[in-house]
Amino acid sequence: MNWVGLQMLRNDRAKFAAMIVAVSLAVFLMQNQAAILATMLSMTAAQIRDVQDADLWVTEPDVECFDQVKPMRDIQLLRVRGVAGIAWAAPLLKIDAIGRSEGGRLNTVTLLGIDDASLAGLPQKMRVGRADAIRELDTAIIDPGGHELFFPGEPFRAGRSVRIRNRRLRIVGVSDIAAPFTGLPMLHTSRSTAAAFNLGEQHMTSFILARSAPGSRPEALCQKINTLGGLRARTTEQFAADAMWFYGSQGVPMLFMVTITIGLIVGAAITGQTFLMFIKENARPISMLKVVGTTDRQLGTMILLQGAVVLALGSCFGSGIAAAVCNVIRTQPFLRSLYLPWEIALGTCFALASVTGIALYASFRHVRGLEPAAVFR
Amino acid sequence: MTPSDSTAVLCTGIRKHFGEDDARVEVLRGVDYTVRRGELSFLVGPSGCGKTTLISVIAGLLETSSGEVSLFGNPLARMPHPERVLFRRSHLGFVFQQYNLLQALTAAENAAIPLLAAGVRRREAVDRAAALLDRLGLGSKTGSYPRQLSGGQQQRVALARALVHEPRLIICDEPTAALDHATGEAVMELLASAAVHPDRAVIVVTHDSRVFHFADVIARMDDGHITHVEPGQRTVANPHPGSSRNSHPSA
Repeated sequence: MNWVGLQMLRNDRAKFAAMIVAVSLAVFLMQNQAAILATMLSMTAAQIRDVQDADLWVTEPDVECFDQVKPMRDIQLLRVRGVAGIAWAAPLLKIDAIGRSEGGRLNTVTLLGIDDASLAGLPQKMRVGRADAIRELDTAIIDPGGHELFFPGEPFRAGRSVRIRNRRLRIVGVSDIAAPFTGLPMLHTSRSTAAAFNLGEQHMTSFILARSAPGSRPEALCQKINTLGGLRARTTEQFAADAMWFYGSQGVPMLFMVTITIGLIVGAAITGQTFLMFIKENARPISMLKVVGTTDRQLGTMILLQGAVVLALGSCFGSGIAAAVCNVIRTQPFLRSLYLPWEIALGTCFALASVTGIALYASFRHVRGLEPAAVFR
Repeated sequence: MTPSDSTAVLCTGIRKHFGEDDARVEVLRGVDYTVRRGELSFLVGPSGCGKTTLISVIAGLLETSSGEVSLFGNPLARMPHPERVLFRRSHLGFVFQQYNLLQALTAAENAAIPLLAAGVRRREAVDRAAALLDRLGLGSKTGSYPRQLSGGQQQRVALARALVHEPRLIICDEPTAALDHATGEAVMELLASAAVHPDRAVIVVTHDSRVFHFADVIARMDDGHITHVEPGQRTVANPHPGSSRNSHPSA
């Protein structure tokens, strides 16, 4: 009988198509908005997670995220290095400055000064050039979004330059780091080069990157460092989570949740209403099926299967569109970090299925309540 | 009235009302009705006299307010609802005025529905239905959809659907009402030849007096009662066509 149910669904092409379109659009809208939200939140932690050689971040106690910079005294680096279980610790200097390209394009840039000796925190992946080329004085590597801002429309290449505070910084490569939340160009350079731009600042350490020694637990080391006083140590994931929480608690997710909820309600309402209409319009054939001895269980399975087919097809189309749109958008250098986590794809489909399930249940109740004798009238 | 082995349908003192208090409507007011195996029984009467309610009660689709229905010695009142559905699926076939064919299915698939409901594999069910349609003269139309068939052809598909699982009782509700005279005559001819069987009873509800001559027995209803039962022309013309057609107690 399930086959009969599917044939009935297929035969009512207008409603079948309407339900699939409704599910597809709802799934697309929810996945798209949820993906943007997830991407935005992950971008707030992108610069933290991009540093893969260190597993500990040490900051001033008040610092909540990567974009909050409170310079630390150099002595703090030595204190961290003195903690038993720390394999190595290196400074990272972060400066915001105004940069100007050869073509005259102005942009605020984030300059990251990497420890000259260890190069700890250097980008792991490059699109153009070699990362360790920044050992040379007054050189930097730029992220793809920054390259697009300074040299719009031009192919990625080394050899260009950016002038910051009347000092020329030669671009020796293009990194492949995640897009920053701020959208500002991200320039990785040596700490000694960056220090030259840090005018008027006495302290040249924004963060301390550290690596736990084999056999040491990063969380335990964080506790040890925190007991030193005046420092706050977090594992990479803890710091990333703090950064996401910091931005996430400022209300932006609420705006996305409103859109996602509207997508869920509208999608489920249209799908549910259309499905219920489909069942009601087929009341007579269903009554006939009841008369010839189709059981309530068979009819229930039939309805469940019809609903499942609509949801499955709609979810596949919607997810496919969402993934395709995501892939198109991420070709833009600034939006290269946009991604659609499978958890979101699955979660949105499940959420829609759950709400639409109410309509399926209502449809089943309607079918159960159908008076089979009505078929004689 | 006591059932015998030859009794297919035995209705005793059937009462049925709808609504309560001021809205209460008595539709059946103590109906006694018997149909024997091998009998083609016509249930006739004016609109609103209770014919459709009576066949709904006989089919177990409506509960009686009082009285008892027994089909082939099985009292319906003693069957729980799920068992009644399965009994209906196995032992009853239906032909409706409006055919009630599923537009999404071909003629053979429509005719196969009772088999599909009984869990027969689709291929086997459709093959059996197609073979039956062939016997009913629709061999070339098994793959046609209802919209591609004439009214008479659709009713023949409905007849195949009623016969395909070899039920013991076939209930037809105004099978010729939507057809012109010639087509109605042809459908009734087919019904009388294909459906009537010594171990099977057929009840036909109809207004169409032009087809009364197919009946073995004609039960006339009015105002919720069976007012008169008479032998049909087939019985008169052919007094020994079945096992017991000319021995109807009411007749």
